[in-house]
Amino acid sequence: MDALIVVFLTGLICMFIAMAKKPVYVLITAVIGLLIAIGLMVSQWFNPPLFQLSYEGLEFTKIGILFSVLALLFTFLIIIGGFSYFKKEVEHTGEYISLLLFSAVGALCMIAFTDMFMFFLGLEILSIPIYVMVGSNKKDLLSAEASLKYFFTGGFSTGVLLFGIAWVYGATGSFQLDGIKASISDGTARGSLLSIGILMIMAASLFKVSAAPFHFWSPDVYQGSPNAVTGYMAAVIKLVGMFAFLKLFTITFGDMHSLWSGALYGLIVLTMFVGNLSAIGQTKFKRLMAYSSIAHAGYALIAIMSQETGSDWNLWNYMFSYGFSIVALITISIVLDDKEDNFSSYKGIGRKNPFIGFIILLSLFSLAALPPMAGFFGKFMVFSSAFNNHPILVILAIINSGIGVYYYLTFVIAALSKQEDESLVPLLKPSILQYIVLVICAIGLLTGGFFVV
Amino acid sequence: MELLLAPLFFALLLAVVPKKFVRLAGIVGTLVILGITIGHVITFSPNNVVSVFNPNATTKFGLTFKMGYDGIGLFMVILTNALFPVILLSNFNRSIAHEKSFNAMVLIMQFAMTGLFLAMDGILFYVFWEMTLIPIFLILLWFGAPERKTILTKFFVYTFVGSLGMLLSLMALSGLTKDFSYESLLAIKLVPKSAFWIMSGFFLAFAIKIPVFPFHTWQPDTYTVAPVAGTMLLSALMLNMALFGMVKWMIPIAPEALNEMKFLIISLGIIGVVYAGVIAIKQQDIKRIFAYASISHVGLITAGILLFNTEALSAVFLQIANHSLVAIGLFLAAGILENRLNTRDINAMGGIAKIAPKFAFWFAVTAFASMAVPFTSGFVGEFLILKNLFSYHWVVGLIAGSTLVFGAIYTLRAYQLSMYGAPKISSFEDLKWNELAAFFLLSVGIVILGIYPQIVLDFVGPSLVKISKIR
Repeated sequence: MDALIVVFLTGLICMFIAMAKKPVYVLITAVIGLLIAIGLMVSQWFNPPLFQLSYEGLEFTKIGILFSVLALLFTFLIIIGGFSYFKKEVEHTGEYISLLLFSAVGALCMIAFTDMFMFFLGLEILSIPIYVMVGSNKKDLLSAEASLKYFFTGGFSTGVLLFGIAWVYGATGSFQLDGIKASISDGTARGSLLSIGILMIMAASLFKVSAAPFHFWSPDVYQGSPNAVTGYMAAVIKLVGMFAFLKLFTITFGDMHSLWSGALYGLIVLTMFVGNLSAIGQTKFKRLMAYSSIAHAGYALIAIMSQETGSDWNLWNYMFSYGFSIVALITISIVLDDKEDNFSSYKGIGRKNPFIGFIILLSLFSLAALPPMAGFFGKFMVFSSAFNNHPILVILAIINSGIGVYYYLTFVIAALSKQEDESLVPLLKPSILQYIVLVICAIGLLTGGFFVV
Repeated sequence: MELLLAPLFFALLLAVVPKKFVRLAGIVGTLVILGITIGHVITFSPNNVVSVFNPNATTKFGLTFKMGYDGIGLFMVILTNALFPVILLSNFNRSIAHEKSFNAMVLIMQFAMTGLFLAMDGILFYVFWEMTLIPIFLILLWFGAPERKTILTKFFVYTFVGSLGMLLSLMALSGLTKDFSYESLLAIKLVPKSAFWIMSGFFLAFAIKIPVFPFHTWQPDTYTVAPVAGTMLLSALMLNMALFGMVKWMIPIAPEALNEMKFLIISLGIIGVVYAGVIAIKQQDIKRIFAYASISHVGLITAGILLFNTEALSAVFLQIANHSLVAIGLFLAAGILENRLNTRDINAMGGIAKIAPKFAFWFAVTAFASMAVPFTSGFVGEFLILKNLFSYHWVVGLIAGSTLVFGAIYTLRAYQLSMYGAPKISSFEDLKWNELAAFFLLSVGIVILGIYPQIVLDFVGPSLVKISKIR
């Protein structure tokens, strides 16, 4: 709760500081604010918490704290990695950064909610700043299109969600997660009213994590948005969307497992195949990332499907590795700053800039689940805990990993191979901030799998 | 632990070595590692299991970080670490040796392979198994022939998908055990049906890497486009990981399925012997001849492993060593020919023996070892495996025995067409000192193993007795 307030205040302060027209000040404020928030979050890990404000609508469990730290960390990395983009238009820097911070506030709400109000509020606070940010590249037609598309589809899914919440309330008479759970488990609420409500909430959540068949917005939106915003959507929004999904469906609606698991099973299979098969043959980098992120949504949803005790921890590990890969790749694309975002402009950059090449190798092979990168361990944990109950699903997921390695590999080969004319390959000069981001990502990807808890 | 970390240390050290000394640093690094390994070998007594790293920590999903070696593990480590300097030495005069990235990748590969042989944990084994793919991929990508990209993709995706089979088996095991340490995995009792699937998963990974008959289609292409050093690494060293994995991991984890799989895998191995042998006879490209020869040889080794008795397994390890030495020698010869003539077509060669007698002699030594002539390392191992295959079933032994005939035909044909006959080329530079040294070292190994194979058999014997009791 206190971290949430700190992030919110930082966002406010950033807007005022932006009046000085000195982007660096905004950055410094945001960095300090986020670091304090991360520190406060970590301090709550200890028992009893060193310092804590509390509010009944929000509760940070242990796993919630882990997810919050990750969300704040990714926001932090995106802000400092994307600073070279934010500072381009001096008069807007403050707005961009504070919008991202406000969105992070929503992310924290969505992690810690204990009732449907906070869930809905969190979702909206998370999404609305991003609708704006997606369109922040005003002169670019694609950006405007993406913003509109995201807004319309997002608004529609919010409507479905609200409708679903209303049905669930109608059935159970409660907005509290505990209350809903109690009336489901004592059997008073069961009926078609509840079932329809749950399925509607599921549809809206699947939209947020861009799972098929609710994924059509994501390639266009990812491609149209500024790189930093794409990174934020892929890393943070997906992370909290997944956690909220997990929380609602394994805890609150866990007893209704028989209702939704069949539907989710089919959608996971669909999501994996749609994501991976569409990713083959993409020629734009961010579209490739979008389709790969659809596929990864499918893999991560297996953690929710498995209904094992440790699945929240497995999901955290999965999103950890996924987020670091995305942040690293997006930072590189910010450094490259190619308007067209074509695959071909990445040719040879890894060979000419060995450090960048190393990061590309790490993050793509982590996405492809090649050990010793963290992505492998995330996948292994999610899949192996689901193997007992759903072996066929896991086998299908493994087959999909095999498909996935193909397009990651084509990109790695393009980025790392020697070009005939080396002088055409740009020599990249990341700023110090971007170096910091890349190094943190590399450390995260290399050590992420070996946490001993 | 220094056994594992030394290669990584030298790989990182290369970043600060000036470009002039890179190739020297590479060799010195591998020699130092060899020295460390010899230190371990001297203090090792074959009956022991030595623990190298045992942190007593377990991750949430059961990774224990345990590392150690028994006789076979240490044998593979010393074989690998002894061959790395030879590979670097044989490439010493090529431009590739001056590349920092090449030397670094070779050392990282050595790191991963050492880790693989030392791993006493299923996940750790998988981690190192996949880690070897990255350096070989980069070596092939950076230094391979121009037409490499499609072939490289095929190679990578093929081996990666194979490994996913092993991953699936590990996932299936995860529900049955509290952690993945070697002891826990051995303690699992499986019903034959699930043992069959688990073994199949492992076999898919190993069969593709070896490669065993129907999974070999990536191999000739990849060997051909790879730089000479890459081919040596692939054929002499990486394939050993799979053979070792079959002995140490695949069969002991799921021994319940051994009887069911025995016939299947032995058949595939034997088919590979004949099939690859016949194809090798018809090839014109010298690298492809040796690539198919390699498939033929390892088919026999695979069949030997599945017999899973102590004698056959000791012969298998002898044959692994032999195959590594011979593969390096043959691909070195092929590399020399390709390098100096700019062609791999054996019809375009001829009469080289007259111009380059030293090369002809040392090439002949390797070729004879490849044919399993007595007093070379190939003889004892091949003989013992064939003998055991005969006692398994005489038909199997008879078909497998054809390897001796085929081996003689394709090796002698390749040697004769390239070395003798009417001279078709005017000039051919004879062996450089480093190539001569590499051939010499390999031949010493070949002859020692041929005359005194007991040195290997004693080393791996006690561990194999223990392992073959598992079923």
